[in-house]
Amino acid sequence: MSFSADSSTRTATRSGWADRAFGFAGGAAAFLTAGLFGWIVWDLIRLGWPHLSWSFFTGEVEDAGRQGGVGPLLISSVLILVCCLVPAVPLGVGCALWLSECVRRGSLTARLVTGGVDLLASVPSIVFGLFGMVFFCQKLGMGFSILSGGLTLAGMILPILVRTTLTALESLPADLRPAAAALGLTRTTSIVRILLPAAMPGIVVGVTLGIGRALSETAALLFTSGYSVRWPESIHDSGRALSVHIYDLALNVANGGPMASSTALVLLALILIINAAAVMLSERWMRRRYHPEA
Amino acid sequence: MTSSKSTTLSRSLDRVFRGVLGLLAAVSGGMVLLIVSYLVTGAWPAIEAGRLAAFFTDERWQPGSARDPQFGVVSMLVGSLLVTLLAVGLATPVGVASAVFHRFYAPPVLERWNRRMLELLIGVPAVVFGFWGLMTVVPLIVRLAPETPGQSLLAGGIVLALMILPIVTLTTQAALQAVPRAQLLAAAGLGLGRARTIWAVALPAARGGIGAGVLLSLARAIGETMAVVLVCGNIPQIPDSLFDPIRPVTSTIALEMGYATASHKALLFCAGLVLVLFTAVFVGWHSFRRQMADTGTGGA
Amino acid sequence: MNSVNDSTETESIARLSVTSLTVRYGDLVAVRDVTLAFPDGRITALVGPSGCGKSSFLHSLNRLTDLIPGCRVTGGIRLFDGTDIAHPRADVLALRRRIGIVFQRPNPFPQSIRRNFEIPLREHGWHRRDIPDKMETVLRQVGLWKEVSDRLHKSAVALSGGQQQRLCLARALALDPEVILFDEPCSALDPIASGVVEDLIHSLRDRLTVAIVTHNLAQARRIADHVAVFWHRDGAGQLIESGPAGRVLAAPSDPDAMSYLGGMRG
Ligand SMILES: Nc1ncnc2c1ncn2[C@@H]1O[C@H](COP(=O)(O)OP(=O)(O)O)[C@@H](O)[C@H]1O
Ligand SMILES: [Mg+2]
Repeated sequence: MSFSADSSTRTATRSGWADRAFGFAGGAAAFLTAGLFGWIVWDLIRLGWPHLSWSFFTGEVEDAGRQGGVGPLLISSVLILVCCLVPAVPLGVGCALWLSECVRRGSLTARLVTGGVDLLASVPSIVFGLFGMVFFCQKLGMGFSILSGGLTLAGMILPILVRTTLTALESLPADLRPAAAALGLTRTTSIVRILLPAAMPGIVVGVTLGIGRALSETAALLFTSGYSVRWPESIHDSGRALSVHIYDLALNVANGGPMASSTALVLLALILIINAAAVMLSERWMRRRYHPEA
Repeated sequence: MTSSKSTTLSRSLDRVFRGVLGLLAAVSGGMVLLIVSYLVTGAWPAIEAGRLAAFFTDERWQPGSARDPQFGVVSMLVGSLLVTLLAVGLATPVGVASAVFHRFYAPPVLERWNRRMLELLIGVPAVVFGFWGLMTVVPLIVRLAPETPGQSLLAGGIVLALMILPIVTLTTQAALQAVPRAQLLAAAGLGLGRARTIWAVALPAARGGIGAGVLLSLARAIGETMAVVLVCGNIPQIPDSLFDPIRPVTSTIALEMGYATASHKALLFCAGLVLVLFTAVFVGWHSFRRQMADTGTGGA
Repeated sequence: MNSVNDSTETESIARLSVTSLTVRYGDLVAVRDVTLAFPDGRITALVGPSGCGKSSFLHSLNRLTDLIPGCRVTGGIRLFDGTDIAHPRADVLALRRRIGIVFQRPNPFPQSIRRNFEIPLREHGWHRRDIPDKMETVLRQVGLWKEVSDRLHKSAVALSGGQQQRLCLARALALDPEVILFDEPCSALDPIASGVVEDLIHSLRDRLTVAIVTHNLAQARRIADHVAVFWHRDGAGQLIESGPAGRVLAAPSDPDAMSYLGGMRG
C-alpha cells in the first residue's frame, strides 16, 4: 500500500457542479475527521496536562485514584505486556513460518490454520476476558493475576503477529529459497539463518503493533488481571493496567475525571509513540527493500 | 568432510524443527476452538437448564431478582445492533468521502500524511474514546436535548463511529488505490470528468474492498465494549428515540461479570457465545473469500 | 578430496549421466526423454530457444525440482560413482553439495559477505576455524578477494550485479562440488561483467564438470567442449542433437538445430 496515487487522475478534466460538490463534500469529510481527532487530543491535554508531574509517574494511587499517581499501574502494565509477548511472539512467528515454509498454500491444513487465526482475530475482547477468566484464572488456577491477564492478551495479539510475519515472509525475494536449497542447506538452517533474519524488520513492526494493541486493551483485563493498585511483587499478583484505571475512574469514582484525563493522556502518548514507531519502521523497511544499498 | 552421520542428524533435527513449527501453528489455529469450548462450558448450566428459551421470550433482564428473575436478552441485542448500525451509518459516508477526497482531489503529500494519521488513530484505545465521549459528547447531547440524560444510543453511536472511522477510511483508500490505472486512463480517454470517473468507474470498481472494510468495522463495532459502556446509559430497554439510554450485550457482560453467580454467570457466557457467533459469521465469510481469492486463479 | 584432475585425459568418462529423463509440471511436459552424459572435467553447453525445458532439465540434476509443488521427474540420473540422484530416498542435501548451481539472477543472502560462506560451510560440517581460509581461496579464485577483503562484514546485496554473481559462484565453489550447473549465468549482467564471469567458467575446465545453459551461441562456441541442443517439439521440450562443440555448431544434422545454429555462420 505504499505506492503513491497516480497523479494523472488528480489533474483529470475537472468540470461542472458535480465535481465541485464532490470536492467540497470530500474536503468537509476529511476536515471533519482531522478536526474530531484534534478535538479529542486537545480535550485530553487540556484536562490532563495540569496534573502531570514526576510524582504522577512514580506515586501510588490515593483516594481511589482522585489523588496520587499511577506508578504501580505502570509497572503492572509493563509486566502484563511481558507476560503477553513471551508466549505470543514464538507462537505467532512459528505459526507464520509453518504456514509459509512447511505447507503448501491452499492446502487443507493451511486453510484450517489461517481460518482459525482469522476467527481468533474476530473474537471480541470482552469474550477474551470471559475465556481468560475461566481458563487461566480458574481452570489453570492462576487467579486474578498479571500472568492471567498477559496470557489472555497473548491470544488477542496473536493474529496480528501471524499476519505481519506472514506478509514479511511472503515479500522476501523469491530466489532466496532456491539459493538456500541449492547449497544443500536443511530447511531448519534456511529458515533460522536466512529467512528469519531477512524478515526481521517486518516481524519487529508486527511486535510493535501488538504492543500497541495490548497496551490499549481494557475489556479483556477486567476479569483476568484484576483491579489491585498495589505495587505488584510478582506476576502472580493482581495488577491494574492503565487502561483499566481509566475505565474505573470514569465509571466508579465520582470526580475521577481529571485523573482519568491525565492517565488517558499518558496512555495515548505511549500508544501514539509506539504506533508511530511501527509506521516509521515499516516505511523505512519498504524503502530499503527497493533500494538495498542502504 | 560431510559424513553421512551428520546429515542424518541434521535431517532428524530438521524434522523436529518442523514438528515444533507445526505444533505452534496448531496451537495458534486451534486457540479459537479452545475459546469457544470454554465459552460453551461456562454457558452449559444455562443451556442444560433450558434457559436459552427464556433468553428470547422473557421481556426484561433482571437475573439477580429473587422473586421474579427474568432473562430477556432481546432488548440488549437490539441495543447492540442499533448502536452498531448507527455507528456504521455515520462513519461510512464520512470515511468514503474523505478517502475519495484524498485519492482524487488532495495533493499526494496530504494523502500521505492523512494515511499516517489514520494509521496512528486506529491504535487509540477504545477506553479513551469512551472516556472522551463521557466528558464531551454526553454533555453536548444534554445541551441539545435538555430533558434527556445524555447517555444514550446517540452518544454510543457517535463514539463508536469515531472509533471505526479510521478503519473505514483506510480500507476505502486502499480499495481505491487498487483500482487498475488502466481503467482510470480509459475513463480519461473517453473524456469523462473527474466526478463521473469517481462515481461511475472508481467507486464501482472498489465496491468489493469498501464492502469488506465496512463489514470488518461492523464486526469490530458490535464486539466493542469500552467505547459504549461509558456513554450508553446502560438501561436494558428497546429505545424509542436516539436520546434514550440503551445497554449493548458487551456492556452487560462487563458490568455484571464481576458479581454474577451461578445461573446468572452462565447466562453472561451465553451472551458471549452469541457475540462470537455474530462476529465469526462476518469475519469467517471475509476470510473464506480472501482465501478463495488467494488460491483461486492466481495470475492477475 | 576429489582427484578429478588426473583422469581428464580420458574423454569417455562421464561424471554425470542422465537417461530417459522427463520433467513434468502437472500435465505439462517441460522436457521429455533426455539421455545425455556430461564428460568429466569438460564444459557442456545446453542451448535452445526459451521455454524448451533447459532450466527444468538443469534443475532436476540436483533435485531443485523437488521444491516445486506438482513437479514430477522420471528417469535416471547417476554420478560416476554410482550414486543414484533420482532415487526418492537419496541424500538430497549431500548431493546438492556435490552438484552446485549458479542461477541467472545473482541471489546472495541479504547478509554479510562472510555469512554467505559461513552458513553453507557450517551446515556441511566445516570447522569454524577453517572457514576464513576456504573463503579467501574461493574469493581469490573468482577474482573478488581484492575487491571485498576489507568489507567482508558488509552486506552482500550492496555489491554490483557482476560482483554478486561472482560471489554466488565462489559460494558454490566453497563446498568443493564435483559438478557445477549454470543457468544463463551471464544474461542478467552487463557485457563487461558477463565477460569476467565467462572467463571464470572457462577456468573451471579440467577441475570440475560444468553444465551451462546459455542463449549466447558465441559464448557456447568460446567455452564449450560439448553442446546439447534442446527444441520444443510434439508438445514438449526435447534434446534434438548433442556432441562435440566443433561438430554440432558447425554442421548439425538436425534441420531445426541447423536453422537455430545458423546464426553461427556468416
Ligand atoms: N514452476 C513451473 N511450473 C509450471 N510450469 C513451469 C514451471 N517452470 C517452467 N515451466 C514450464 O516448463 C516449460 C519449460 O520451461 P523452462 O525449463 O524454464 O525452459 P527454458 O529454461 O528452456 O526457457 C515452459 O513451458 C514453462 O512454462
Ligand atoms: Mg530458463
